[in-house]
Amino acid sequence: MAISVDPPQVSRDLCRKAGYTFTFLSDPNAEVIRRYDLLHVGGGSDGHDIARPAEFLVDSARVVRWVNFTEDVRVRARGDEMLAAAKGLR
Amino acid sequence: MPDMIESRRNWALWLGFLLALGALLCNAAFFLNPPAQRAIPWLSVLLAGVALIFLVRGLQRAFGQPKVYRGKFLSSILALVSLLLVGVAIFSFFQARAIPASAGAPKVGQKAPDFMLADTSGQPVSLAQLFAPASGDSQGVPPKAVLLVFYRGYW
Repeated sequence: MAISVDPPQVSRDLCRKAGYTFTFLSDPNAEVIRRYDLLHVGGGSDGHDIARPAEFLVDSARVVRWVNFTEDVRVRARGDEMLAAAKGLR
Repeated sequence: MPDMIESRRNWALWLGFLLALGALLCNAAFFLNPPAQRAIPWLSVLLAGVALIFLVRGLQRAFGQPKVYRGKFLSSILALVSLLLVGVAIFSFFQARAIPASAGAPKVGQKAPDFMLADTSGQPVSLAQLFAPASGDSQGVPPKAVLLVFYRGYW
């Protein structure tokens, strides 16, 4: 599932256009983003606060099993990397 | 007696321009999602650096041997455009890497904080809720794991 500061309407448009069927959550006040220490102050195109890119694989005990913090916003975890991390869980 | 000096093409300048263009076009390569994407930012900076060397060499020729390498004016324009491309490529590199360290983010083995946020239809959803069996799943098998993807937003 995905989280961003976008309002639900914007995420809905994105999901429709891109065909995403996974859960898409909105954190417009960056409360959860702050709790996860992922706030990128002034990182948005118009200078507002957004989330830095980050991926967490969390198991059913809510324990983090895999993380990815990119050093470059242009470089993201690839689908196959995330899939491999998920398959590595037992 | 006509001018017997054969004019030569200032290839160093053109090569500098092409390399500068390549450095900038590296940004487009991310959309192709290549396996070596981690190397692309460095390739871009490398191309920009080599471009600068050839641009300097090309300008030296244009101004040092103006009879052989003609077009001081056009050389300057081409060098200026190339310099702009190099500048944008290097600016993008630093801009893309200016992200917070997130030292306090949950690490492997730590518990991910629970939360509740609105989904695309405005309905509140918690992290714990995502571990419930999918509504369309008649077997009632809960997911083993959930992938949380924080992203910058859509614009």
